[in-house]
Amino acid sequence: MGTPESTTTGRTIRARAAGLTDQPLTLLTVGAFWTWLVVRWTNDFLLDGALIERNTSFFPTAPFESAASTLGGLAASLGPVGFPVGWVAGFFEFLAASIPYLPPLATGVWATILLTLLGIALGFVIAVPLSVARVYGGGATRSVALGYTELFRGTPLLAQLFVLYFATPLTTIIRELPTVGTGFIPAQAFWVAVIAFTLNSAAYQSEYIRSALNSVPEGQLTAARSIGLSKVDGIRHVVLPQGLRYAIPGWSNELVYLIKYSSLASFITVRELFQRTDSIASETYRYTELFVLAGLLYLALVISASLLMEYVEDRVAIPGLGTTGR
Amino acid sequence: MSDPLLELDDVYKSYGEEQVLSGVSFEMDAGDVDVVIGPSGSGKSTMLRCVNRLTEINGGAIYLNGECVTDADTDVNELRKQVGMVFQDFNLFAHLTALGNVTLGLRKVRGIDKAAAQEQGYEHLEQVGLLDQADSYPAELSGGQKQRVGIARALAMDPKLLLFDEPTSALDPELVGEVVEVMRDLAAEGITMLVVSHEMGFARSAASDIIFLDDGEIVEHGPPEQLFENPQAARTGEFLSRLETTHEGE
Repeated sequence: MGTPESTTTGRTIRARAAGLTDQPLTLLTVGAFWTWLVVRWTNDFLLDGALIERNTSFFPTAPFESAASTLGGLAASLGPVGFPVGWVAGFFEFLAASIPYLPPLATGVWATILLTLLGIALGFVIAVPLSVARVYGGGATRSVALGYTELFRGTPLLAQLFVLYFATPLTTIIRELPTVGTGFIPAQAFWVAVIAFTLNSAAYQSEYIRSALNSVPEGQLTAARSIGLSKVDGIRHVVLPQGLRYAIPGWSNELVYLIKYSSLASFITVRELFQRTDSIASETYRYTELFVLAGLLYLALVISASLLMEYVEDRVAIPGLGTTGR
Repeated sequence: MSDPLLELDDVYKSYGEEQVLSGVSFEMDAGDVDVVIGPSGSGKSTMLRCVNRLTEINGGAIYLNGECVTDADTDVNELRKQVGMVFQDFNLFAHLTALGNVTLGLRKVRGIDKAAAQEQGYEHLEQVGLLDQADSYPAELSGGQKQRVGIARALAMDPKLLLFDEPTSALDPELVGEVVEVMRDLAAEGITMLVVSHEMGFARSAASDIIFLDDGEIVEHGPPEQLFENPQAARTGEFLSRLETTHEGE
């Protein structure tokens, strides 16, 4: 990559990221995944099932079923040495059994993505002032920011979800709002989850940003002040543009975590990926197929997020700043 | 009789128990170039930082154009628009190009629109001979080039007074010349400069006055000929001879 002198964390991140784009198979898989998702959503949500009926998979199961039974027969005829063929048969059996569940899970993926993106984006809006308060604030501001961070990082996310959902009037208030739960607008539980993820993620994100702000040399703000910028403007125009770039690698972790933690929303009845998987599994008893499938979908989301953040990092890279171009 | 451009009147500064400046007083007229010399820890940089209030004084007063700027109700941002500063370790904004460094203050402090700010920015980069590096980031510049951008950044605010805090101390010896040359040009243009530096060549040729600071006090203050050829205080002579030994061969 031509970056022999990057920092240790920089090198680790770069190596990991480079590993993704350097593999055409990864890009191809992620591309196929998103093509499927977008076509599925368009068909189910926008076109009212014009391409194919809702809850009907794009992929036929018959070829996989027949492949499985043919290979199964072959494995049996081979006797004791037939077990590898048996495994392949099992794989096709898995595919045939899983395919019918793809459409409802795609709907769950939509909710998972929405939850994650809203949580991370709204959390970011809170995290930036929170981290600035931690680094540059006066005694009181600093204590409040620290208290907030400790509270939300120190208690379980699931407990926060439950408290917000069951113990506060939030649920009732949101339910009474117009359009909530109609058409495209998800019901109140979803919004309570968004609020919980926002508050929780803000605390974690602020920690990543805080340590990044600390790595911006003090002289940068001094220089900003010396040309007549106020402290706030100096932070805004000089410290943050640098600090946020330093924060990208750590912050990417938070995004990846949140994709998976968003599954906790299922506990307050949000119909996201995990909840849909669990409810179909308890109806069909196909736990293995469904949870392997859900795992693969989460994996695809996580790899997509890593690729996206790698792209963002490259796009905003500045020579001499952060992890690239040293 | 007009007011001096800058006046320090009995300025005191201490950090806790440690007294850094003990009653410093001097005046500068517009167009003067004063060079401050003195052993490390003598309070040179602190004195400079008191002038644009990056450091607050504990006693005395500082006047710019006859106006007291060390009052509690002085707007420090207004003051800093009038007093530019060049730093020892450059402190260029690492995320901005050379042009971006020069224009940030114009845009965000003076409120000039981008196109007009860039036009001025190019002029100031030309002034320090770096028009061709306008789009380079600090990490892509040599130390000497960085410091020249630092000077252009301070100049862009059109300050009444420029402060230089050891502008060549962090440079490799072969890069000192280009920075000193720019500083000489500025001195010749009549820009008022207060320079903390041990660049004796610059001090001899460009300074109106030399101020020798030791232990937080001005030991001697006079034109370069007097200070270098005929120092009045014994400490000045001792310091200068030590400086010559360490700078031998330059």
